[in-house]
Amino acid sequence: MIGWIRELGARTTAGVEALGRIVVFGALIVRAIFLRPSRIRFVLAAIFDSGVLSLALICASGATVGFVLGLQLYNTLSRFGAEESLGTAVGLSLIRELGPVLTGLLVTGRAGSATTAEIGSMKATEQLDGLRMMAIDPIHFVVMPRAVALSIAMPLLSAIFVLFGIFGAYLIGVEMLGLDSGSYVSSLENSVEFRDDVLQSLVKSVVFGMLLGLIATWRGYSCEPHAKGVSRATTSTVVTASVCILLADYTLTALWGV
Amino acid sequence: MALRDVGLTFGRRPVFDGLSCDFPRGRITVVMGGSGSGKSTILRLIGGLQRPDRGSIRVAGQEISGLGEIELSQVRQRLGMLFQNGALLDSMSVFENVALPLVEHTRLSAGEVARRVHERLESVGLSDVDDLLPGELSGGMLRRVAFARAIVMEPEILLCDEPFSGLDPPNVSRIEALLVHLKRDLGLTIIVTSHHMASSLRMAEQLILLQRQGLALIGTPAELAASRDTTIAEFIGEDGAAFLARHRDPMVAGRDEQPR
Repeated sequence: MIGWIRELGARTTAGVEALGRIVVFGALIVRAIFLRPSRIRFVLAAIFDSGVLSLALICASGATVGFVLGLQLYNTLSRFGAEESLGTAVGLSLIRELGPVLTGLLVTGRAGSATTAEIGSMKATEQLDGLRMMAIDPIHFVVMPRAVALSIAMPLLSAIFVLFGIFGAYLIGVEMLGLDSGSYVSSLENSVEFRDDVLQSLVKSVVFGMLLGLIATWRGYSCEPHAKGVSRATTSTVVTASVCILLADYTLTALWGV
Repeated sequence: MALRDVGLTFGRRPVFDGLSCDFPRGRITVVMGGSGSGKSTILRLIGGLQRPDRGSIRVAGQEISGLGEIELSQVRQRLGMLFQNGALLDSMSVFENVALPLVEHTRLSAGEVARRVHERLESVGLSDVDDLLPGELSGGMLRRVAFARAIVMEPEILLCDEPFSGLDPPNVSRIEALLVHLKRDLGLTIIVTSHHMASSLRMAEQLILLQRQGLALIGTPAELAASRDTTIAEFIGEDGAAFLARHRDPMVAGRDEQPR
């Protein structure tokens, strides 16, 4: 019994210590944003890696989700004679919920894991130590640009996902199932509020991007410096960030009615 | 530069238990020892990449064992380090890698940066490699690029982890000559870890021989030759002993001659 309590205490202490280290790491990233020289070129390169290279995945996934939503919601709404509301249902579900969350999960798998693997392999091959020995802060040079890039890319990708989703549902509802095009667009236009829906959706995706940026860079930066350590850290990024995004989604929805 | 009563444990394995040694200014010190004896760890301790569990580490007259990263960064501007695997940034070209310290820490013009980078690359026997990525280089070329990067800022103290491994004999001689030149003409304090017995014995002005958890010997190559310790004799082997016997006189007479 005593051993069990001791073990529980040790694990709790280790958990709190790890959380403290992540918070300090996050603070160092924020500090690095304001350090000179600015790393705008590196941030843009990282946005290209995590954002532009994820575009095809996001567009294809957004359109596919739109197809499914168009089919499912049209059939459900037509049972109540409310198929004219397809635009409203598709728009609100994509903008408020599915867009930010699915984009968060997709970007986690595509760019978050790549970020962890890249930083982790730099650690394993002593590139981060090499930077330190040149008196260059690896958090300023390597970590901050990638974390900031994920935070910037996420809302942009989420917006693109939503647009492709709405277009996909349009193709199914209007072009395939014969719904009036004007009804679809006007119901969408009338029901979606910029401040309550679009802006809040962007806030959600910015939070998801920041969470992913912090988790992906932290896991890479703190991984054990060998191949297995990098592999473990990459898996851990996908699992931890996915769970955190879902928890944050619930929390934001519950607290602010996003 | 000195280590005093340094203790360090990795997990349950003690690496150093009360290690003390000095590294004379403007001299070449070669650290030798078997695998796992802590040769690279000494360099990491001096560079502040590894913190000791106890003891004092003085670099350029400054105690560094308790410094934070920002203060350590100031000290590191006076150091250059060659890592065992090169540690070049694999997303940057050879030119960008070597130019990086100059771009980050000086306000030199692009032309002057290019001139210095090419001068350093030529000193390690490389030309026309500017646009290559580290992944496109052979092991020996990669180490020479890393060496060029380590010396491009003309540091006061140069730490070299196995600088000769993976090099062919002409390039071993080239790097050895360059180390001797840097020491003699620029007054660098150089610490080298090496398994390369001939080069180590030829250029060392101080030798540190490590065994598990501490020092086996600290002294000159001549003192190494004179030692009756069986551990030392075992480590240097017959080839090393023969080399020391052959070169005893020149080593005692003067250290600054060029390698053969």
